Amino acid sequence: MTRIRALLAKEIADLRKNPALLAPAVLTGFISILLPFFVAIVVPYVAGERLSDSSDFKIALEMYKDQPSMRTLDPEGAIQAWIFQQYLIMLVLTPVAGSMSLAAYSVIGEKQARTLEPLLATPITTFELLAGKVAGSLLPALVLTAVCFGTYLLAVALIARAGVYTVLFTPRSLAVVFVLGPLAALAALQLAVCVSSRVNDARSAQQIGALIILPITGLLIAQLTGYVLLTVPVILFIGLALAGLNIGLMLIGIALFDRESILTRWK
Amino acid sequence: MLSASHLTRQFDDRVAVQDVSFDLAPGEIFALLGPNGAGKTTTLRMLAGLIEPTSGRVDVHGEPMSRRNASRLRGRIGFLTEAPGLWDRLTVRQNLVTYARLHGLPSPASAVDTALELFDIRDRARDQAAQLSKGLKQRVALARTLLHRPEVVLLDEPTSGLDPESARDVRELVLRLRDERRAVLLSTHNLDEVERVANRVAVLRTRLIAVDTPAALRARLFGARLQIALVPPAEPFAALLRRSGHGDVRAEDGMLSIAVDDAAASAPAIVRRLVEAGAQIRAVVPEEPPLEEVYLRLLQEEQPA
Repeated sequence: MTRIRALLAKEIADLRKNPALLAPAVLTGFISILLPFFVAIVVPYVAGERLSDSSDFKIALEMYKDQPSMRTLDPEGAIQAWIFQQYLIMLVLTPVAGSMSLAAYSVIGEKQARTLEPLLATPITTFELLAGKVAGSLLPALVLTAVCFGTYLLAVALIARAGVYTVLFTPRSLAVVFVLGPLAALAALQLAVCVSSRVNDARSAQQIGALIILPITGLLIAQLTGYVLLTVPVILFIGLALAGLNIGLMLIGIALFDRESILTRWK
Repeated sequence: MLSASHLTRQFDDRVAVQDVSFDLAPGEIFALLGPNGAGKTTTLRMLAGLIEPTSGRVDVHGEPMSRRNASRLRGRIGFLTEAPGLWDRLTVRQNLVTYARLHGLPSPASAVDTALELFDIRDRARDQAAQLSKGLKQRVALARTLLHRPEVVLLDEPTSGLDPESARDVRELVLRLRDERRAVLLSTHNLDEVERVANRVAVLRTRLIAVDTPAALRARLFGARLQIALVPPAEPFAALLRRSGHGDVRAEDGMLSIAVDDAAASAPAIVRRLVEAGAQIRAVVPEEPPLEEVYLRLLQEEQPA
């Protein structure tokens, strides 16, 4: 653990010296926060129509009429709450997008800067190296997710109908952000670090690691169209699957990491 | 302390290192010479536990290095890589503290303070590595290599690209390591440096061409010679020595060069004979061809016909 912590501290110190690396993450977070407000507040305001007048949102009222937390809301508030809950899954993308470039660059970056060989000459094991690299990308992403979630809540409390923000405090919402988000991010980052240790171009790692965005986007669409309802059991099931995937990815990462090839063949 | 036995390393069809064996003793500076592509870095990487030999083995303190124990044994070796390999955005102190922690030192901060003091870089501790000159970067890299006080130190081109003053500092450090009874393996192209510090020299071109002390290599290739500076002319005294049984005597200007079995043992008798014959002697020294000549001769002899 000491060596993982040492590498993590180095990664964080490095990031603090170059915070611009997190710009894509901040941008993704900003868009994730902005988009539901555009749908739930700006568009109805500009169009001069209420959401509850539109037949498109009948499904939202149907789905929410049984939820105890929604009973205190008027129809407009209930639809807003539904929109804000659905778009919450967008926040899951924030840590993935945020730290993908960090993770993709992790091993290939060390090689290109000629810092990898001295690092490998220490007693660090492959597991410690990969764990330190993944943690170095994941930690800033999680901090960013927490900040984005806090901002989202505050904005909903200030701008949306009164009481809407309370539905974002349900176990379901919190599980989406703080269980699914980190686990999906971890899977994406591990994939990127694995690829980063096999290719000699950071861009390839970034492209392949970004594939994790596809199932998350699919989940968002399935949820919006009513095909999948992210209840707590569904979220826990997906969480367990992601945890299994993460363990598998770590084992694959260790097996694929070829010190010799990295040192002797990469230029 | 460190032993290489029949090390061979192959990359696909290309043999980079073949059947290399040598031992490295405490308090010894062992220089590894060879042209570019001779396998020096590959040898160092095998010794440092970074890559595995295709065949043969490395022992550290009698313990054979394997995939299982390589991580632990790497903690007993300090490897200065060809490039300093510092994290440019981090400060000198942050670079060193990270390595102190990676080596599991009990008190990283104080180990770093000691290293900063020892390498005279305390005043640059807060500077970003990117801001340092090449010489200073190399000094920080050396400090990093020695942070955990390794018993075996492997140095790959430690003075490459350094100005004379920085190179001298590095040489002094290498000598200090020898005085501390550490085993130092120095891979370099700088023959002058080897001449000044190395106890033994190995010449590598995929396989080892020669391993010995510089003096023994000279004697083997050129034989022992005595050089005597006279007030010219020297030729009459060369003829005198030839008549008295010295078969190989060369005279040039005021200089005599005489082939002998042992320069130190032969000198008194030769000097006496010359003085008796009226020679005015200015200096007497054992003749030592530069290591460069030894090295080039070895490579030449090894060249396939």
